[in-house]
Amino acid sequence: MSIQQRYVGFILGCFLGGLVLCHGTYAAQGPAWHQDAEALTHEGYAHELSRHRYTNTEQKMSGSVGAPVMLCQVAEPVGMEEDSEMWGDEGASIPDPLEPLNRVFFQFNDKLYFWVLKPVSQGYAQVVPEPARVSIRNFFSNLVMPIRAVSCLLQGKIEGMGIEVLRFAVNTTAGFAGFQDVARQHLDLPLQDEDLGQAFAFWGIGPGFYIDLPFLGPSSLRGAVGWAGQLYLNPLDYMVKDVWANIGVRGYDVVNKSSLRIGEYESFKRAALDPYVALRDAYYQYRIHQIEK
Amino acid sequence: MRSCFRWGGFTLLIIGFMGSAALAGEPTQAIEKTTDKIIGIVTDPALKEPDKSEEKAERIRKAVDERFNWEEMSKRTLARHWQDRTDAQKKRFMELFAKLLEETYLDKVEGYSGEKVLYEGEQVDGSYAVVAVKIVTQKETEIPVKYKLKKEGNEWRVYDISITGVSLINNYRKQFNSIITRSSYENLMEKLKGKVEKEQ
Repeated sequence: MSIQQRYVGFILGCFLGGLVLCHGTYAAQGPAWHQDAEALTHEGYAHELSRHRYTNTEQKMSGSVGAPVMLCQVAEPVGMEEDSEMWGDEGASIPDPLEPLNRVFFQFNDKLYFWVLKPVSQGYAQVVPEPARVSIRNFFSNLVMPIRAVSCLLQGKIEGMGIEVLRFAVNTTAGFAGFQDVARQHLDLPLQDEDLGQAFAFWGIGPGFYIDLPFLGPSSLRGAVGWAGQLYLNPLDYMVKDVWANIGVRGYDVVNKSSLRIGEYESFKRAALDPYVALRDAYYQYRIHQIEK
Repeated sequence: MRSCFRWGGFTLLIIGFMGSAALAGEPTQAIEKTTDKIIGIVTDPALKEPDKSEEKAERIRKAVDERFNWEEMSKRTLARHWQDRTDAQKKRFMELFAKLLEETYLDKVEGYSGEKVLYEGEQVDGSYAVVAVKIVTQKETEIPVKYKLKKEGNEWRVYDISITGVSLINNYRKQFNSIITRSSYENLMEKLKGKVEKEQ
């Protein structure tokens, strides 16, 4: 089995596992959602319930409201969808039929950050000075040039592809194997921020729906397919064939990148009233911004 | 006759150019003024001491307060829920929301470490304008920021900020609407109050 298949299998496994877990606990507990929804219409209960619902994010982790919620949301979109129409284009939002499951993965990724990624990145940042970390980030970024070049090509952005190939040639040689981004600094050739998801969007494929993937974070159905495709364009997956070594290198890249962004997620959460909704919308707005470029 | 047209056209061109040049500068100048003021405060050596942090925060709040249009921001954030509110409720919401945004802003600028702010142009449409700014960090990252401004009287005031394409107001609108439709406006206010108090 190739590395690519293993990665896709792993994420898919996590995802389906979460789905089954969600559904299983739901079946045991009964249809909590319908009671909630009914009670919502009674004003007297609304206040009491609101607390309940919002402390509920924690409860949802254990899956008190499960799969049927998403089923009924698929069948008839309530709340958000109707509202966004009333606001016109400004209210556009990404469909989220898997919200209960996504909220579980949101909590999972949140804990993963605070319990694992952040402490490791902080420790790492203590040892490796910032300029070195920036260089290492540049190195990994230079390595995955084929992803950006192919994504440019698929969108007919020939100039963008040319810039990427040129950047790779310059940075790999004059930039000491990509550690220095001399192409941007001295030749004014900026990185082309393109990926397969954007290429699919260019072809008119919609995002599908929102998925907060375990380990990988916010994405859409389209984005997830793009991510899987990119595994085949990433030179790393051909250079490092051993699974654990590959995971190690990828993990190191993530830790190195995070060490340069410590505090961003924290300040994002401090500013948010519902971090889950805030992240979903930020992801969506950011993707639209990238696609339009 | 022909030269008459030529001169007329030329004069028109000059006037048009001057007009647009004079008009074009205003929103950018407004942003630049506030940005410089805030950078001045965060880099002021006299305010670096820990016991001065409250004074520093207060001065930043004041600078932000002058430039931000809280009412417009509140209206756009609550959107359709704004109409349902009484005047007292609107006032209370504006107070709390302004505080939240002030704190968010403080949070962002307090870590200022010599980032460069580049002005990348503006678009003006009547009494509305967008000013594009690029923030270049020490870590070689570039963050595109867009300020949306509205002219009221003689002042251009900010009613939305987009960072890498993510509009702050749209983002809060989604959150607030989600909270109101799932529970109630009262619950939103409670959460807002909790958030603002925790920040202080």
